[in-house]
Amino acid sequence: MSSLNQTIQDVFNEPGCGKNQGKSEKERKKGCTKQLQPGGAAGGCAFDGAKIALQPITDVAHLVHGPIACEGNSWDNRGAASSGPQLYRTGFTTDINETDIVFGGEKHLFKAIREIIAKYDPPAVFVYQTCVPAMIGDDINAVCKAAAEKFGKPVVPINSPGFVGPKNLGNKLAGEALLEHVIGTREPEFTTPYDINIIGEYNLAGELWQIKPLLDELGIRILSCISGDARYEEVAWSHRARAAMMVCSKAMINVARKMEERYGIPFFEGSFYGIGDMSDSLREIARLLIERGADPELMERTEAVITREEARAWERIAPYAQRLAGKKVLLITGGVKSWSVVAALQEAGMEIVGTSVKKSTREDKEKIKELMGQDAHMFDDLTPREMYRMLKTAEADIMLSGGRSQFIALKAGMPWLDINQERHYAYAGYHGMVELVREIDRTISNRVWEQVRKPPPWEEEGAANWQSRAMASLEAEAEELAAARLADPALAEANRRAQAVCMCKGVSTGAVEDAVIGGADTRGAVSAQTGASTGCGACGVLVDQIIEDLSPLLQAAE
Amino acid sequence: MPQDANNVIDHFELFRGPEYQEMLARKREQFENPVDPTELARVREWTKTEEYKELNFARDSLTVNPAKACQPLGAVFVAVGFESTIPFVHGSQGCVAYYRSHFSRHFKEPTSCVSSSMTEDAAVFGGLNNMVDGLANTLSMYKPKMIAVSTTCMAEVIGDDLNAFIKTAKEKGSVPDDFDVPFAHTPAFVGSHITGYDNAMKGILEHFWDGKAKTVDALVRVPNGKINFLGGFDGYTVGNLREVKRIFELMKVEYTILGDTSDVWDTPTDGQFRMYDGGTTLEDAANAVHAAATISMQEYCTEKTLPMIAAHGQETVALNHPIGVEGTDRFIMEVARLAGVEIPEALAMERGRLVDAIADSNSHIHGKKFAIYGDPDLCFGLASFLLELGAEPVHVLATNGSKGWAKKMQALFDSSPFGANCKAYPGKDLWHMRSLLFTSPVDFLIGNTYGKYLERDTGTPLIRIGFPIFDRHHKHRYPVWGYQGGLNVLVTILDRIFEHMDATTNVPAKTDYSYDIIR
Repeated sequence: MSSLNQTIQDVFNEPGCGKNQGKSEKERKKGCTKQLQPGGAAGGCAFDGAKIALQPITDVAHLVHGPIACEGNSWDNRGAASSGPQLYRTGFTTDINETDIVFGGEKHLFKAIREIIAKYDPPAVFVYQTCVPAMIGDDINAVCKAAAEKFGKPVVPINSPGFVGPKNLGNKLAGEALLEHVIGTREPEFTTPYDINIIGEYNLAGELWQIKPLLDELGIRILSCISGDARYEEVAWSHRARAAMMVCSKAMINVARKMEERYGIPFFEGSFYGIGDMSDSLREIARLLIERGADPELMERTEAVITREEARAWERIAPYAQRLAGKKVLLITGGVKSWSVVAALQEAGMEIVGTSVKKSTREDKEKIKELMGQDAHMFDDLTPREMYRMLKTAEADIMLSGGRSQFIALKAGMPWLDINQERHYAYAGYHGMVELVREIDRTISNRVWEQVRKPPPWEEEGAANWQSRAMASLEAEAEELAAARLADPALAEANRRAQAVCMCKGVSTGAVEDAVIGGADTRGAVSAQTGASTGCGACGVLVDQIIEDLSPLLQAAE
Repeated sequence: MPQDANNVIDHFELFRGPEYQEMLARKREQFENPVDPTELARVREWTKTEEYKELNFARDSLTVNPAKACQPLGAVFVAVGFESTIPFVHGSQGCVAYYRSHFSRHFKEPTSCVSSSMTEDAAVFGGLNNMVDGLANTLSMYKPKMIAVSTTCMAEVIGDDLNAFIKTAKEKGSVPDDFDVPFAHTPAFVGSHITGYDNAMKGILEHFWDGKAKTVDALVRVPNGKINFLGGFDGYTVGNLREVKRIFELMKVEYTILGDTSDVWDTPTDGQFRMYDGGTTLEDAANAVHAAATISMQEYCTEKTLPMIAAHGQETVALNHPIGVEGTDRFIMEVARLAGVEIPEALAMERGRLVDAIADSNSHIHGKKFAIYGDPDLCFGLASFLLELGAEPVHVLATNGSKGWAKKMQALFDSSPFGANCKAYPGKDLWHMRSLLFTSPVDFLIGNTYGKYLERDTGTPLIRIGFPIFDRHHKHRYPVWGYQGGLNVLVTILDRIFEHMDATTNVPAKTDYSYDIIR
């Protein structure tokens, strides 16, 4: 396992990530993603992260080495569209059993690879490590190497067992596997000065295809998309691109950065969501290509396309913008979407009452602030209960989120629209933004919400409505907590103090309070002492609040 | 010949064989006066145009593919809901064979029904002898407790007087004097099966309440707190009535279901043949006069019955086949009001579950366009449910719908922003619907089995809700009323939407990029 540990450490040392570089050596070793909290409802594991990052490579056989749990739950559950091969949708697993656990599963894995190659003859087999074989010591790297030699075909180990960390880490470990085993192993038939890579785009609901015609029109060739609608060899020769765009925030920053390092491919981080972002991305692509030797007239053509497409999109959004003006949106998503969608919604005249930043990086958060101003309501780890409360108190008109959060909205009687991977509409590009606005309009105007919020008509006037019921249940819970506090004040106080103020730096309420009591009576002083509010800065107001709350106490002490 | 005794193949495959295909082609050429295929295609395309639609809607004599059945069918439906009652249809026996097959094709169950088997002699000299012999034979052969008489057109055209005939038959000793023989005139050339339901129900209630054709004193109403329930003609009667009973029990309402067919069309296979399983006892039918109120689930099935009941001093409420949240709310609240009971928490929970299911799936139905046809009340119930779901019931057609019904539909459309482009078509048939589906297409069609031709011709996916449903089994065992029934209707609609989605995204490497496992 030492090599896996090294890889993880390497990923944690990502120099392309400003947040990581801002940490001390010791902090960095702890990892770049927030430690999971035992007892809390958690997001996906590293295996899941690796699987979703690579599964969109459509002609590869994705073989999961583990018990049925891993492939059984992840088999084809993302809407990454393919223009051809369907092999990526076939669920391959070694489905290991007790005998494998006792005697080891390596032979089983080897045989499974052999059967895949005999029956399907894919251009490559990706083998995913999972917790159980990792713990019993199955060396999938060795098995893959032996199989690759024996069958004369790439067999790529994806070493990202679930226990090493969360989904985001899995994305990066998947990227590492591509860097180590795939990228640079083939050569394209020809190259052009207009070849680009798109990294971190998964072609969900065919979003890549919505962008591609514009790039085609400009004569820009997507040499490789990692990994939406990709073919194995396309990824293998991606090192010959002239420039790269990194789409999904930091999920695959290691791939983009290392390809720059190894092959001199410059990259930028951009988004296809939102009209302004889309235009910026096209400009940036053109700029990087021109820097690498493409004809400078490309920029003129790009600007012409941008002007035309923006005008067309605005024209089509205009009728909706009137209806949506002033509508309030609560955004529960992660990473790149937390800011890229903000821009898009603002374009349609909507107001963002809050956005979650759980999976977002510091840059993501800064972009949100740029867009929404310093007052941006950013929420880190929103518990379902908190979301529920927000839906009520923020008086949002609609919540946009992934499928897992939908039920919070639905039970609260809140219009909800899916913007994560299980969505059925493509929202990328100019056309996609029109589509998103149309969907929001359609969702908000759905008569169902009226029905959902109405109590049974036989309930008396003034009886509990959906909002008061939601609040009542929250209050009841608060009372219970208060009762618990009375029962065990010490524990309750410890819990209260442990609550984080600053999510970026992991500073607890207790630490801030101690600093204030110790004499740090300004936000700056508290920050200097504890590190609170030196990340995204969003918690500054909370620090101020604590100072204000404690000042009478301090004055009394004086 | 390709049929081989060792490997017998069914008609699906057999007639696709070359021998049969050649035979059929020869027949077409030699005997069918074939037209030029391009001319055929031209006309077929022409039938899809606005021009053709206008000509089609200008039709004033010919009905093509009517979406209604005849009065006696409704009368038979009513009769079998009463205790040990046999429907006796005075007229031609062929008609009766139709009702029986019609019901058994829909319910996959037998329906007991006899006929006076009038022939040409009877048509000339009147059907009295057939009535006299028929009643006597029916009693001696089938031992019913009651014989409910209705008529076919044949008896109506010659003007047979049921009241007098039954009286004469009793005088001649066909059946004992005090034997219950209620009757209703049910000519098919007036109204439809829903009219027949109305007439037959009214006939039976009047028989018991108003002195059994002047043979005994009329009952004197002594009001109690009970509620009478009329389901109307209903293809989902088994599931619906059981659901309604469950709701009544939950609400602790004392009730009488008039024409209780809940056990008639799904009798158990346990070694016993149940010729009769109607659930309304004759005693209950008589005592129903004392009830506080009568609630009808289908206004247009009870247009004469309800005023008759009201004239006896009861409050009456007519609903329109309530489906969904708002419709069921109204039903439940009316029952609670009429019976003076509280609505139990259990029903509020069921309501919440239906609302939850609607919210979970809202995006798939919202904004979709539907065409609906069927009986007027069912059309109303479905249309209001679709409006509730944010769908547009663009074309709503009832061959047996009246102008008053169309007005009521229009008022429903006007009550919702989703009704802006919707229109009701009273008295139109399925060939009119065909034109509508071509000139202003919709996403889905809701109707009975006959809609499958429209589905084939126009490509509009059919959602089977209505009567008759011959080509899908057992739908009648599941309710469409109550909150649970609303859930069934929701799921029926959703299933078809998802099936359609899958069917249009399953071409490998062409459309299957959207052939997703999560919908």
